[in-house]
Amino acid sequence: MTTWRLLDTGLRPAAQNIALNRALLEARQQNASLSTLRFLRFEPCALLGYHQSAEQELNLDYCREHGVTIQRRITGGGAIYFDTTQIGWELYLHKHELGTADMTEISRRICEAAARGISTLGVDAKFRPRNDIEVDGRKISGTGGAFDGDALMYQGTLLIEFDVEKMLRVLKIPAEKLSDKAIASARERVANLADLLDRVPPMAQVQSALANAFSEEFDVEFTPALLTSHEEALYNDALAEIDHPDWINLLARPAVDQPTLNAVRKFSGGLLRASVAFDRTQSRIKQVWFSGDVFISPSRTLADLEAALRDTLAEQLALNVKQFFATRSVDMLTLTADDFVSVLHEALAQANSEAAA
Amino acid sequence: MATVRGCNLPDDLFYNVDNNVWARREADGTLTIGMTAYACSLAGEIVSYTPKKVGKEIEQNKSVCTVESGKWVGPVKAPVTGEILATNPDVAGKPGTINADPYGSGWLVKMKPSNWDADSGALITGGAVAGAFETKMGADGFGGC
Repeated sequence: MTTWRLLDTGLRPAAQNIALNRALLEARQQNASLSTLRFLRFEPCALLGYHQSAEQELNLDYCREHGVTIQRRITGGGAIYFDTTQIGWELYLHKHELGTADMTEISRRICEAAARGISTLGVDAKFRPRNDIEVDGRKISGTGGAFDGDALMYQGTLLIEFDVEKMLRVLKIPAEKLSDKAIASARERVANLADLLDRVPPMAQVQSALANAFSEEFDVEFTPALLTSHEEALYNDALAEIDHPDWINLLARPAVDQPTLNAVRKFSGGLLRASVAFDRTQSRIKQVWFSGDVFISPSRTLADLEAALRDTLAEQLALNVKQFFATRSVDMLTLTADDFVSVLHEALAQANSEAAA
Repeated sequence: MATVRGCNLPDDLFYNVDNNVWARREADGTLTIGMTAYACSLAGEIVSYTPKKVGKEIEQNKSVCTVESGKWVGPVKAPVTGEILATNPDVAGKPGTINADPYGSGWLVKMKPSNWDADSGALITGGAVAGAFETKMGADGFGGC
């Protein structure tokens, strides 16, 4: 049976963890290292996606005042708050070990395996396209990847005792900030393993659940090992670049280019409010946040729709909403897919009026 | 125009097959660089594009720009060594242009090659294109564009 490495790099500052991402991916690309499953933990930090700008995504004053380090990932996706109550998992692989080079398929295969592993801890975790693992519609793991030639790194979080309120303070989430309702609403969108299990699972148990799942999925066995001296050298070079303001500020775009747009509409089916983080330069919806008092069953539908609308071009919005409702059975009384489209269009219209002003 | 497993691969372009990039020699000796239709199909819709700065020297097989799709981030690698002459503002504003028109308006950078004659030996063009990509797609387990 093929052997892959199991690497636990413990609790580290964000810069070290990201520099290790770079070094381990590079070493795998050079065929100088085995394929690897790495576990990692972070001191409190806000991690930007590779193409994001700190000004647009984070409450910088809060981060400064509360010792939340800001770093930039080498992977895509959105900003996250990471602290010691979460665990990170990462796979460093070669495309040939996956039998496909299709990025969507690779994400699916790895996330489905991770979901099976998380489920063995006693919850019903499932992959939610494109990049989440959820339990009953609540996100328990977010994921993203980086590639270099034929090597790739795919990473995910796993929430164990996550502080949702802190996340709302760190990230510029398009929601009414810090009202009891917003905090409750945010809690409905994420799932903590400790809450679901009514106990804090030992870290070793969580790690072995994930390792066993990946071992079965890829038909490999894991052997614990340390960094090689070659990886240490690559890491030192990477750290010099990454632990530096030039890396963190690699992309700096003004916050006004990504406004939060709000709209509320009363329908016969209830009140529906939409907050949209909108990338004005690309006319692209980055994130949607729904609230209000509409009746929808299953209740996870709103969270699923929010996930489905990430990174949607404004011109494709109506189509995406309609496709979403066309592919599932939802009971929402008199509310229709068109109602969602209309409240979102009303929010987006403000981008035009703001720009005109 | 070669078509391999449904992917267009114009045979008048020069390809680095491993890196899935193409280069077109313009009349003035400069190069236009882009992703292949095959690379676009593997990536899915591209949502971000960050090119290296104009004026920067890029070695062969080093990154000329970084792209993101479906939360995947990675480099697009220079087919030859050269200097970046231009980046594509239309793609910066609408990265999906790369998928929509990979050999036209979705170009990534323009380069001035340092030593085309030496570096282009590693690239594939003309009648060899179809076979080289068929081999790669087979190795990648690719179903089709």
